[in-house]
Amino acid sequence: MALLELDNVSVSYGRIEALHGISLTVNEGEVVALIGANGAGKTTTMRAISGIRTLSQGRISFNGEDISRLRADLRVVRGLCQSPEGRQIFPGMTVLENLDMGAYTRRDSAGVAADLDRVLTLFPRLAERRKQAGGTLSGGEQQMLAVGRALMSRPKLLLLDEPSMGLAPMVIRQIFDIITEINQQQGITILLVEQNAQQALSRAHRGYVLETGRIVKEGSGQDLLTDPAVKEAYLGVS
Amino acid sequence: MIDKIRSADRRRVSMLTSVGDRFRALPKWQQAAAIVALVAFLYYLPLLGIPGLTWLRTDSIAGGNNWAGVLFVCAIYVLVAIGLNVVVGLAGLLDLGYIGFFAIGAYSVALFGSVNSPVVKWIQQEFDLPPTWAVTWAVCLLLSIVLTLISGVLLGWPTLRLRGDYLAIVTLGFGEIIRIVARNATGLTNGPQGISAIPGPEGPPSGDNKVFGLIDAKPWYWLAITMVLLMVFLVRRLEHSRVGRAWLAVREDEDAAAVMGVYPFKAKLWAFAIGAALGGLSGFLFGSRNAFIDPTQFNANLSILFVAMVVVGGSGNMIGVSLGAVLLAYLPERFREVADYRWLAFGLAMVLVMILRPQGLIPSRRRARELKDRAAAAEEAPAHV
Repeated sequence: MALLELDNVSVSYGRIEALHGISLTVNEGEVVALIGANGAGKTTTMRAISGIRTLSQGRISFNGEDISRLRADLRVVRGLCQSPEGRQIFPGMTVLENLDMGAYTRRDSAGVAADLDRVLTLFPRLAERRKQAGGTLSGGEQQMLAVGRALMSRPKLLLLDEPSMGLAPMVIRQIFDIITEINQQQGITILLVEQNAQQALSRAHRGYVLETGRIVKEGSGQDLLTDPAVKEAYLGVS
Repeated sequence: MIDKIRSADRRRVSMLTSVGDRFRALPKWQQAAAIVALVAFLYYLPLLGIPGLTWLRTDSIAGGNNWAGVLFVCAIYVLVAIGLNVVVGLAGLLDLGYIGFFAIGAYSVALFGSVNSPVVKWIQQEFDLPPTWAVTWAVCLLLSIVLTLISGVLLGWPTLRLRGDYLAIVTLGFGEIIRIVARNATGLTNGPQGISAIPGPEGPPSGDNKVFGLIDAKPWYWLAITMVLLMVFLVRRLEHSRVGRAWLAVREDEDAAAVMGVYPFKAKLWAFAIGAALGGLSGFLFGSRNAFIDPTQFNANLSILFVAMVVVGGSGNMIGVSLGAVLLAYLPERFREVADYRWLAFGLAMVLVMILRPQGLIPSRRRARELKDRAAAAEEAPAHV
């Protein structure tokens, strides 16, 4: 069953249209990767889904409900949580306070405490640095914090924007291992946006290729990995 | 030279932080005792007669102002600083028109509490009330808080969608609009003539008032400091509440806050309304103590002074902003011989603080971390391009 559905979605920045009517589906339990080069519109897609950008056209439905005009904070309440790109953790808050912010919409303190334990087990590094300010963490730790914070809202659908950006290959593998674990063990559906097409496609059930604001290809992760055009454009092999 | 000042300043700060840490390490009852002692000292201040400390009094110099009166002004400025700190320090919104709320607070008590106000006269006529009738002081207190709260929401509703500098410009305009309306709406506010006979807790000003008279400022100071302590307590609670967390998140990163489920507009509107109400309360005390107000008392300079108190003191830290308020209100009074140069000295002090300590004299730890992070990000930025 489709958990998230984008139907002919366009987004404009002023007079410039960044997304030209894209459609995609994420089914419950899946890991879906959205790959594309710089400026293809990946982050804009994420921002449209999480509600930070408004649509100029099209429709987004989540869990059978039309959320195209819903405020970002109310989408979180519905179970849609984004781990934003790059350093969008709260730099002045400690690790624990950051994680606590993730649970902002929740009122079940017992459940929050249990989830905090789970996140800290998932990311032992965060447990070590729980009292440290978010801004003083390394890039990889900040990324873990962003993912952990998103998990604290106990989402149905987790949106990950460039989880591998600026990280060392070792850390990237670690992050992707955790993404797979979250999907398989906690049953959370994941939509991830990546420049690192190799890692993303090999972990995803399905993938979409975004080029200058349009979806140009879709298929299973394996199919896309072996697709000659994708290989040439994104995997650095000719 | 600057390096020397910097290192001296660093020593001062590490000393301060260790004072803070040591205080937090004390057992609960000792902390409580220290706070009680501080509060007692604050109440004792107007009577200050401890040998060696009397030079602090502003009436210890020739032509100096009444000491308790100066303390009263310090106290209402502290109230302003605490209120503006909610807006600037906690929610991160630059409000350059805070004087507008202060004025609305003062005018609320004047318009509804004074028999000389056109509003009261109109009500007397409409409802056939005796010419001595006016709204009582306690009701005026509530009125001024409610009215400033509403005006905060009214100003915030259309403007809080703006970011950063735009908001600053709009609020600057707001402060001026209030002053100009007060001057020109003669039928409502008596215009430049001002409004006299503004009541105190004992009713309209008169020689029969035993406690809250025009001469002795001590009771006024005690009233103001009581309000300050109450508000410090309430704002502290707010800071650590859900709303407080939302403010913090919005200040640090508005988009990230939104994807965590915070509705930034609502959080900012709350900050604006609560900040406005505190400014209104302060203006209320000012009008009530002064017994007379006119539009010239609310010019834009004061808005800038208010922001300066918060920034110099240490935006985000209640102790810091209170210190900023006391310094900026007290120093020109105590050192009157150089008071003519106060704006010069003030400008220099601002520049120095901005160069040496952009986070303020007693910064909030969090704000200091944010500034550091931003500086680091700015240095790193070219590498990403």
